[in-house]
Amino acid sequence: MKFFPLIFKNVFRKKTRTVLTIGSIILPLLVICLMGSFLSALNMPDPAQTRGMFRIVTRHKVGLASPLPVSYAEKIRQLDGAIAVTKFNWFGGKYIDDSARNFFARFAVDPETLVLVFDDATITSGSANDWFNDRAGSLVGEDLIKKFGWNIGDQVVLIGDIYPTTIQLTIRAVYKLQNEPSDALFFNRKYLEEVLPSFQGNVGTIWIKCRDGAAATKLADEIDQMFENSPYPTKTESEKAFQMGFVSMLGNVKLLVTSLTIIIVLVILLIAANTMALSARERVREIAVLRTLGFSSWKILTLILGESLILALIGGIIGLGAFIIGLKPLKASLMNTPISGFASAIKPFPEVLLLGLIITLLVGLLSGLAPAIRASQRPITEGLRHVG
Amino acid sequence: MAIPLKYNIRNLFVRKVTTGLTVLGIGLVVAVFLSVMSLSEGLTRVFKVSGSPKNILVLRRNSQSEVDSGIYREQIPLIVTLPGIDRDIDGNPLFSTELVVILNMEKNEGGTSNVTLRGISEKGPHLRPQFKLAEGRMFKPGLSEVIVSRSISKRFKNCSLDDIIRFGSYQWKVVGIFDADGTAPDSEIWTDVEGAMSDFRRVSYSSVLVRTTDKLGQDQFVTALSNDPRLALQAKSERSYYEKQTSTADPIKFFGIFVGLIMAIGACFGAMNTMYAAVSARTKEIATLRVLGFSHMSILTSFIIESLLLALLGGVLGCFLGLLTVKLALSGVTGTTNFNTFSEVVFAFRLTPNILLTGIVFSLLIGLFGGILPATQAAFTKIILALRQVE
Repeated sequence: MKFFPLIFKNVFRKKTRTVLTIGSIILPLLVICLMGSFLSALNMPDPAQTRGMFRIVTRHKVGLASPLPVSYAEKIRQLDGAIAVTKFNWFGGKYIDDSARNFFARFAVDPETLVLVFDDATITSGSANDWFNDRAGSLVGEDLIKKFGWNIGDQVVLIGDIYPTTIQLTIRAVYKLQNEPSDALFFNRKYLEEVLPSFQGNVGTIWIKCRDGAAATKLADEIDQMFENSPYPTKTESEKAFQMGFVSMLGNVKLLVTSLTIIIVLVILLIAANTMALSARERVREIAVLRTLGFSSWKILTLILGESLILALIGGIIGLGAFIIGLKPLKASLMNTPISGFASAIKPFPEVLLLGLIITLLVGLLSGLAPAIRASQRPITEGLRHVG
Repeated sequence: MAIPLKYNIRNLFVRKVTTGLTVLGIGLVVAVFLSVMSLSEGLTRVFKVSGSPKNILVLRRNSQSEVDSGIYREQIPLIVTLPGIDRDIDGNPLFSTELVVILNMEKNEGGTSNVTLRGISEKGPHLRPQFKLAEGRMFKPGLSEVIVSRSISKRFKNCSLDDIIRFGSYQWKVVGIFDADGTAPDSEIWTDVEGAMSDFRRVSYSSVLVRTTDKLGQDQFVTALSNDPRLALQAKSERSYYEKQTSTADPIKFFGIFVGLIMAIGACFGAMNTMYAAVSARTKEIATLRVLGFSHMSILTSFIIESLLLALLGGVLGCFLGLLTVKLALSGVTGTTNFNTFSEVVFAFRLTPNILLTGIVFSLLIGLFGGILPATQAAFTKIILALRQVE
């Protein structure tokens, strides 16, 4: 590429313009990356499939707010294919106040069986035994520990709403999940049973670890059939399907985000195309001179396309780089905003970075296309006569 | 002495392609901003218009919503004999004991979402003036019958008139379709409260809705309720209960402003490029204007006006695109989850004149910031150098 220096000189001929154009590519690209990672976070791979975990969740068929009798857990445990069974109750309540920052998931659980079902979680500090032995102890996700700056032994006070009681917990252990956010707090359901006798006998969801994939499918149907005509019919689905249920509750958010992304790509395209049109027009006479010197129209086409491509690539690389580097501080600064839930789920997914690169290349090629064709097709005489 | 506006307008039309691309760019940015804001506005409206100012909602103390509240049966007589409650012609207090159950139902478009099933007493509909039965009839107590709001009926499976909603051993017949003029009941299914209590084996109601006589009665009732040691309950005006849930729209609003702002800076750069090109192509012309006696100031103003005009065209186009999108593509009702109650809230996109105005202001800001630097450059063109310049 002996013309590379020429193309490069052309890119930086008008520095202000180049900087502005690169800037106007970087900013929308950042938005695209953010939205793309949001969509990727929604479509996170099924933990049951990727790690051979085979977990299924049973809940009341009517909906999450209707509890099941606690005896169901024991009945399910006796079925063939169920390795471990544990019980979850959504405690809700509030920590300090109702703000979005102080919201996180809190569950009353069965400690001993919880660790059997979620055997992919690792205890990073404290110990599971400490937690088992302290009825008022809690197991907290690593993300929460970081967010609130908690330590082992700290007290956490939760004011109940569904369960009208205030509970005081001591952090005994910290857990971490491999590829998922670790941002929930778990405590012993016996504590809740003691302070609130009316709570006894109810369970929100029952989580089952199955022997293998086949057992998971078979068990899900078997459980639902077993309870079909009882006063508490159940619905059992894979962990992934259960989580996707929450995503589908968001409604058409996915569609909205996708269409916004497409519009933003269009916007960058317009801005970049505008720049290319401007710089090609200013050089009509110069290009005519190049043609007289023997440059073929094909070569002119390559020169201008190369210029727009390089311009876009510079913007793209800076933009993607800024996204990767700036993600951590950005996440931290978004933590106190209404979209903190979304912010904690984003990370630089490879597919998003690839998408960003493809969009960059596309913008580079498409924005230069029209000016390049026009410049290479214009008759030389007309070009030389052109008054800028 | 000011440079005539015509000069700027003509300049914009001389460079049709560049002007067109920039206007379209700004227009799209404004349209994106407007559609997100109209979503947030539509969602907010549901909570703003819901509830009647005379109604008081009784919940358990510390409860955030009806879903996590509970009121025992034996507490009801204590509540409804408190002072301040309005009465009907026969002298009976106006109240409705209600049970809220969340149903996980299948959407027509696939996937599931939570819908509020509300058990109400006889006076329940009367306490909600926007309620109107549109088709069919009211449910009869004790027959496992429900009435469904028109929006829910359109969006969820098995919710049309005469369908049966089934969950294992539970089933309810849809006997009526109702309309609540865009208020909260439009996202609900209603049934008889006593039937629902026994169906779901509940020992406590979720809430009690009470109509008070007037402002004075309201205060009387609230004070009496919170001072009664036998009741660990709280009373909220129905209006403020719903207004608090407008926080559901906060993430969308924040997202809209966040994305809008970043995109606006991007569009600003685009406008700046266009204006710089416009200035550099006209260097000689500007010098000539200066020679003719136009001051720095009038040239600066003139170019800023040109940039504002450019952006305004974009803003108007954006409003037009936004209106078109909301009226055509987003005209139906849509739903999302209200995380206060963990159930579906149905709403329609709303593009109000106020939002459109914000869009125009938004575009003018893009124009202003995009125009300042190029206009300054134009205003301080070195006359001699510029006149001597060969293209």
